[in-house]
Amino acid sequence: MLASLEHVTKRYVKNEGLRDLTLGFPAGEVVGVLGLNGSGKSTLLKLLAGLLFPTSGRVSAFGGLPRRNRAKIVFLGENDALWPWMTPADAGYFMRTLYADFDSVRFHELLRGLEVPLRKTKTMSKGERGRLRLAMALARDAKLYLLDEPLAGIDLISREKILSSIVREWHTDETILLSTHEVAEAEGLFERVLYLRDGRLALDVSAESLREQGKSVVDAFREVLT
Amino acid sequence: MRSFATLLWLEYRRSRTWAAALLGSLFFWWWGLHQVRVVEVGEQLGIRAGLLAMASIVAIIILAIMIGRIRGETRGGQFQVLLLSPPSGYSHLLARFTFAMAVAFIYAVCIGALAAWTGSQAGVIFAARSLVDMMLRLPIYVLGILVAPILAWTILLMVFSGAYRVSSLNWVPGTVMVLATPFVLRHLMEWTIRAFYTLPGWRFLNQFALALFHDANTDIEMYGEIPDVQFLFTASDQYIGFPQEMFWIFLLAAAVMLALAGRIWQEVEA
Repeated sequence: MLASLEHVTKRYVKNEGLRDLTLGFPAGEVVGVLGLNGSGKSTLLKLLAGLLFPTSGRVSAFGGLPRRNRAKIVFLGENDALWPWMTPADAGYFMRTLYADFDSVRFHELLRGLEVPLRKTKTMSKGERGRLRLAMALARDAKLYLLDEPLAGIDLISREKILSSIVREWHTDETILLSTHEVAEAEGLFERVLYLRDGRLALDVSAESLREQGKSVVDAFREVLT
Repeated sequence: MRSFATLLWLEYRRSRTWAAALLGSLFFWWWGLHQVRVVEVGEQLGIRAGLLAMASIVAIIILAIMIGRIRGETRGGQFQVLLLSPPSGYSHLLARFTFAMAVAFIYAVCIGALAAWTGSQAGVIFAARSLVDMMLRLPIYVLGILVAPILAWTILLMVFSGAYRVSSLNWVPGTVMVLATPFVLRHLMEWTIRAFYTLPGWRFLNQFALALFHDANTDIEMYGEIPDVQFLFTASDQYIGFPQEMFWIFLLAAAVMLALAGRIWQEVEA
């Protein structure tokens, strides 16, 4: 297993983010993490990234604590996470000098492909910033990609560019966990889908078996979560 | 090394407006010193020295805010990027500390130059060595005994509040740390004073210090319970220099706080 959770509970002050969750993620899967707001999607991805620590249970990535193996994990959070003074050139320098697996040539190809303007992020639209962040993430040669709502608040054209880049850049030995509310647009991407409700796993199913039952990911979403 | 240079670059880019504003404020203080129009030379010197002390305190506060700001970056997600980047917490915090100390050093040298100018206005003629003392050795001493520990403590507090937020279940250690600081500091200070002049004093400023700090012994009256306290002068008014123990002990305390903060960095959630 590339990453796993064993009986993981994450409790915040007033509520529980996740309750007794056990999951495993082998290499080479594209996993959709779906659920309503507050269902625990971000908590799950942050635990796997090492940004949060479980209240109980064990989270593992690459055989150890995720924080310790952070150099092997790509995490794309739902926040903008870029300094307003940063240009794509600054972002490239930052990534190139800190991450051994960062490919500058690939980064520039992604910038062109995603049509990211070469100006400071504070003057970019949310979609442009989202595309820049995705280029920074996909230009790394990691094995585990955790993409938390990369499509949120982004226009249709940018969403299409982001999704097609994810498809194009994915290699069969890489695992991608993608959380999104844009279920219909992203469903073609998923091989496996996790449906979360109130911090619990409501359904863990392969997209193939859904199709065999004559259902789409969206149908199952409505069925399981509403 | 390459990643440390990047982290320094990042600090520079994040905080250069603050640093520029701080260094630019020196013009304001210089203008303020010029505005002192009291006729009596001694009084003029006193007011100007007060202004320089105020400039130093304001600078330390601004530097502490500059390196301690975390809320905006936590909300914006940039702090997540830092936490998940490959360099260790020690590298991140050392870069932040180094940049702030570099700004503090430039600022302190300028304050030293302004202090030398203030002295010259009061008729003090400085030898070249005294000028070097005012603009280099004394600022470095002050950075060691005051600025470095305060900035290291700020970084420790910043990391602590990230790891043990009041809004989370683990708030107790952070609160204990803040409340315990004055007690720890008092004990450290008392212990340091007891160790004064175990090593030879650093004889900055020489005779000029006689005029400048002659009454300094009265300032450490709070440590009356420590017998035979000496500071700058012996009982027979012999100048013995600045105690280097204070410099090394407080620098060591700063290093310990940074090391602690670097370790806690691994526990910070975002």
